[in-house]
This record gives sequence, C-alpha cells and structure tokens, in this order.
Amino acid sequence: MAKTAQEKADLKAEKRYEKTHKHKYRIKIGDIVFSILNYLVFGLFTLACIFPFYYLFINTISNNDLVIKGQINFIPRGIHFGNYMSLLNVGDLSTAFMVSMSRTILGTALMVAASGLVGYLVTKKEMWGRKFWYRFLIITMYFNAGLIPVFLNMQMLGLTNSFWVYIIPGIVAPYNIILVKTYIESIPAELEESASMDGASYMTVFRKIIWPLSKPILATIAIFGAVGNWNSLTDSLIYMQSAPKLYTLQHRLYIYLNQASNLSALMQSGGAVSDAAIQSALSGKVIKYTISMVTVIPILMVYPFMQRYFEKGIMLGAVKG
Amino acid sequence: MKKAKTKQETISDKLYYPFRIAILISVIFLFIPALNPVRISGMINRNLSLFTSGISYSALTAEFGRALKKEWVMESSLRILYGSALVICLGIAANIASGCMSLGNHKLKKLGNLISVIGCVAELAGMAGTYMAYGQLSQTSKPDRVEPMFASGFWPAVIIFGMVLVLALAQIALLAGSTTEKKFAMESKYKLFLLFLPFIALITVFAYLPLTGWRYAFFDYKAGDTLSMEKFVGFKWFQELVKNKATVRDIANTMKNTLAMSGIGILTSWMPMVFAIFLCEMKNLRFRRFVQTFTTVPNFISWVLVYAIAFCIFSTDGFLSSMFVNMGIWDEGRNLLMNGDHMWIKMWAWGTWKGIGWSAIIYIAAISGIDQQLYEAATVDGAGRFQRMWHITVPGLLPTFFVLLLMSVANILSNGMEQYLVFENATNTSSIMVLDLYVYKLGIGKGSIPLTTAVGMLKSVISVILLFGANGISKLLRGESII
Repeated sequence: MAKTAQEKADLKAEKRYEKTHKHKYRIKIGDIVFSILNYLVFGLFTLACIFPFYYLFINTISNNDLVIKGQINFIPRGIHFGNYMSLLNVGDLSTAFMVSMSRTILGTALMVAASGLVGYLVTKKEMWGRKFWYRFLIITMYFNAGLIPVFLNMQMLGLTNSFWVYIIPGIVAPYNIILVKTYIESIPAELEESASMDGASYMTVFRKIIWPLSKPILATIAIFGAVGNWNSLTDSLIYMQSAPKLYTLQHRLYIYLNQASNLSALMQSGGAVSDAAIQSALSGKVIKYTISMVTVIPILMVYPFMQRYFEKGIMLGAVKG
Repeated sequence: MKKAKTKQETISDKLYYPFRIAILISVIFLFIPALNPVRISGMINRNLSLFTSGISYSALTAEFGRALKKEWVMESSLRILYGSALVICLGIAANIASGCMSLGNHKLKKLGNLISVIGCVAELAGMAGTYMAYGQLSQTSKPDRVEPMFASGFWPAVIIFGMVLVLALAQIALLAGSTTEKKFAMESKYKLFLLFLPFIALITVFAYLPLTGWRYAFFDYKAGDTLSMEKFVGFKWFQELVKNKATVRDIANTMKNTLAMSGIGILTSWMPMVFAIFLCEMKNLRFRRFVQTFTTVPNFISWVLVYAIAFCIFSTDGFLSSMFVNMGIWDEGRNLLMNGDHMWIKMWAWGTWKGIGWSAIIYIAAISGIDQQLYEAATVDGAGRFQRMWHITVPGLLPTFFVLLLMSVANILSNGMEQYLVFENATNTSSIMVLDLYVYKLGIGKGSIPLTTAVGMLKSVISVILLFGANGISKLLRGESII
C-alpha cells in the first residue's frame, strides 16, 4: 500500500517531534544538575546566615559548664535561662538598654513626624521660596563637613555628653523626606482641595488627610529609622566620651566583646548578686554571647513586620523626587 | 482686593528687613558659645552657650563649687546672672515670635511689634543684670582664680538688642492708627514657610554650620583652645599631608587600604545581580521565600553584632575551634580573628555576608518587572536557560546596576568606619585602616584636630567632585541624572 502524502507528512512530523523531545530530554538532565547546584548553593548560604544566630542562642541557654568546654555545637543541652536573669544584675547593661530603647522610640517618632510634615510642606507650590528651601534641604545629602567638624559643632552646641545628640540631629532626614514627598504627590490632589474648600487649614489637612493616607510610607521609614537608631554605635562612641551612663547597648556590647579578661568578676561587682553559684559558673564567653543575643533579639522580633515594607522602601528609593 | 500701600506702609515693609536680620543675629547669640554675653568669669565653661546658661543653673555654675564654699563669689550674684540669662533667652524667644508675626497682616504686625518691645526690654534688663553680676564678681578677693572678665559678646549683644528695640518702636509709630482688619491673618505662602522654618533651622545648625569648622584646618588648634589670628598657619596642615614623612606613610597606607577595599567592592558589585537572577531561577516559591527572608537578616544587624557573630564562630573558644578540637584536628583553639592575613578579602567577605541578600532585593523587584512574553518568545525560538538569562534578564537589570555602580564609584573614599573599627586589632591594624577610621583614630582618639579636619575637607571635596563626575557620565551615556 502506497502511503499518501498526508501520511508521509504525519510521519515526518512525528520524527521531528521525537527529535525535539529527545533534545528536551537532554536539556532536562542539565536542568536537574543546574537546579540541584542552585538549591545547594543557596541552601548553604542561607545556612551560613542562620546558623551563627542559632549557635549563639543555644550557647546562651545551655549548661554553662558544657558551653565553656565547647561541647554545645548543634544541640542545646541542660536548658536554663539563668544567664539572661543574671544579666539583669549588671547595672550598666540595663542602663544601656534603656538608653537604646528610649533613643529608638523617641528618635524614630520625631523623625517620622518631621518627615511627614516636611514631606507635605515641600509639595505645596505656594510656599514662599519652596524651590530654594527644598534644594537647601536636598543638597545636604551629598556633602558632609567630615567627622571632626561635626564633632566640634556638637561640642559648641553643648550636645556632647547629652542624650539629645542621639535625637535632634536625626530629626530632619532628607532621604526619608524625599520618600514621603514622592508618596504624597501620588495622593489625588482633589482630596486635599475639597478639604481646603471647606476651610480646613494646612495643619488640619495634614493631620486629617495626608497623615492617614501616607501611613504605608511612614511605616516604612519608621522601621528603617528604628533599626538605624538601635544599631547606632558611632554617635555613642564619639559624643559620649565622658558620659558612660549614656552609652548605647551597641557601645556596651562593643566594650564587652573587647574585654579579654573573664567578666564574671565584673558581674559580681555589679551588685545585688543573688545566686552565687550561677555567678561563679559564668565565664566571659557566656556573658558575651548573652549580651549579643539581647542586642539582636529586638531586631529579630521586628524583622517579620519589616519584611512587608522591604520592597516598597527600596523601590521607592530608586524613584527620586 | 489689595489696597494701594500708603507711604508709611512701604517704609514699614522696608524697615522690617533690618528688623528680621537683627532678630536672626540675636538668635545666633543664643547658640554660639563664643558670643555668650553672660560669660563674665573664666570659670564659666567656654563651650557654654547663652541658651544653655539660661536653662540650666547647674551647667552655668558647674565650676563654682569651691569658689562659693570659700566665699570668693556670692551665691546671689550667680543667681542674678542666671536670672539675667533666662530673661534674655525669653526676650529673644519673644523677638522670634514677633519676627514671625511681621509676615502677617496689619493687625498681626501691630501685636508683633508690641511683643518685640517687651522682649527687647527684657533682653536689655537681662544685660543690665549681667552687668550688675559682673560688678559684684569683680570685687572678689581672688581675682586670679575667679577670673572676672567682660564677655566679648556683651556690647555687640547690647547693640543688637537696642537696634531691635529702636526698629520695633519705629514700626509702632509707622503703623499707628486703627485698622479695619478684624482678624489676625497671614498669607498662606508665609504660613507654609513659617511651618517649615524650624526644620530650616535644624538643617542649618546640623548640616551647614559644621562647614564653618573647616577653619580649624588652617589653625594650630588643640582641643579646648580658642582660635586667634596668632595661631593662623595657612596651609601648613595640607603641606604636612605631603611633606611630613610619617604622615605621608600613614596616609599612603590608609589610601591603599581604602581604595583596595572599595575597589574589591566595585569589582564584585555584579554579585547581588547574579544572586537575584539565580534566586529567581528556583521554581519552588516557598524555598525562594525562605532563602530571601534569611539572607536579608544580616543586613539589619549592626557591625558590632556582626563582630559578635564572627567572635562566636572564629574566636579561641568559638564554634570552629571547638569543632576542630573535638575532632582532634587542632590541639587547642585558635583565634582566627587575631590573624592579619588577607584582611581585604575577609572584610569583603563579611560585607557580602551582611549585604548581598539585601542588595539583591532591588534586582529581584526589577526581574519581576521584566515582560514575561520576552521569555516565552525566546523559549519558542529555542533559547536555553543561560541564553535567556544573558539576553533578556541581564539587559533588563543593567540600568539599575549601572546607577548603583556609579554611586559606589562616587563613594569610593567612604567605606564607613564601624566595620573596620570593630574588626580592628593589633595584628591587622595596618591592613584594615581605612580613611574614615584613620580620621576617627587620629582626630577623636589623639586630638589631632587640624590635620584630620584637613583630611576630611579634602575627602568631602573629592567625594562631591566624584559624584558630579559620575552624574555627568550617567547623563552622557543614559541621558538620566542619578542625583
């Protein structure tokens, strides 16, 4: 039986299909190898990012004797929370914790309020000298007088060795103001206009309309501001040279990490020592780890909330106003 | 409808300019310690401003404890001095308010003038009180200890306050007569400006005022000195940077480290992009999310904590040591952090560990913005995985990459100092010393203020030039500005 032209064509197509299919099959092996490698590399790197925190944590809650002998590497043993309890007895640590907390809360609150208001004001075209003042503000992002002149300036203003040096210079944050301004510009102008028609003042418009509507961006800058405040070491280091009571927690941690000697003596001199047995078992290593954990915990706690704002924040940053 | 201005109003408007400037100058008197008019004794701290003197009695009299006990100084004269400072501060505050009111309507201006006169009277009364306190203080039995002196800012302050008073009185005379306006009002452009004014003040004080500190680079200055023309040394400190052998060696080494570490950073700045591309190749979304979440965490911890992490892994009794000792590979723990070899690479590695997940986010967002049809079309045309990456994804990400690259070139001299500060120790100090850390160590640590100011000045100027250069390149190549 002679094959019809149609059948011949079908056969050809089938062969071609098989060919491409084979080709696809070969690619699939390559694909699998690639995927395995890809997952492996990313898995390992992620592990490298998580494991140190885990290691730190299990060493602060395990039996101190085992920790000192280097026996706790993967699995916690003899779990107790005595280390955290005994940190409470170290006076300068709780002070530092309070300083860091208050600067984070106050500094962030003021920065967010100021960024909101200034971001709103610079969108108002009728402001006297708006262009000039906006540039006056933005230019400060691109130059810096340098560490020493800034330090001498703070000294001249009487802000050295004062808590306010953590707060006041950070109130005006040009970058955050740009973010807020860009966001406010995307709010429909009609909303504001109708309120102005009804006789609302600028502050009323800001409080009743602009502020509630820009909450997403304000939350973003609040979170980044808070992390920055909490993590800040340099200002404590430079400005608090004769005010150890105002050291931030990061500064304290830095000092502790650099103390080579056994720190249990220091804990005993911290006063109000209740459990001598725990005290004697504590070594410098355990204390260093525990303080590190205390410093990192607030960050890890707010981290899940922050994640929502990551992309928004960083993408807005790419769009300049 | 605007009425035509009367002649008096025109004069009044013009007279308001010197009035506002004089008020601005009195505000400067409030905050600059060198001009503090109530500093009538050498025992009052040189860095004390009028504002601080007025709000804190303890700061004003911090060093008088002994003098009071020995009765060299009467407590009452200090109290008079403090009261005077407080009254001057309040007077200046009143003047600031009236200066703001001068932008309003006729009725508001009139009220402002009245407040201003009250403020000026308060200021001048305060100055009289200061003079009285000075009179009492100069009769001390121990003039060499108490050092009574006439504050250099005293007469200038009196002149300024007097000027404000005269101008305010002139305004009252010019604007006399009843007004038809029923309400206090102000044009909205000035209202907005006044709302912005406090922030302008903050920007001026914290961003522009430090620039005046550049003058220290031209003087022989030690912490606590006052600047005087005898100590003017011209460009001595700048010459020192290229002539003094020890300094030149330090600076050269510092520059080598700075440029090397920034250079390594720039050369590897494609890594976050590759990270993002390969991350997006993973089909399992949950795993992707997991990786993204946990590789971003290190970005949010401080450098001190990164050091704490390094400490718990690499120190003598850290993870690696205890593992190797337990397995019998090492006899005893080693502190790998006290090893100064390959510091540049190590610092880069820590920077990458901390930052790569975060830097990748912007690329991940950009990848999700690439048109999916491009990939489909390429697949139909037989493009493989890598071809699609190279011909579609990479070109899509290049603009972002380019902007970030230019920014990092502009920041080549600013690697920050915290990272290097926390990792610095005796064994690695020569290969970790970057410019920012050097300025900190020398300026704050050793008090070498003029030299470090000169270095900072040069750095600031070069950075700005680099930034504008980078911006120019960007405009030339892409027609877009990056700043």
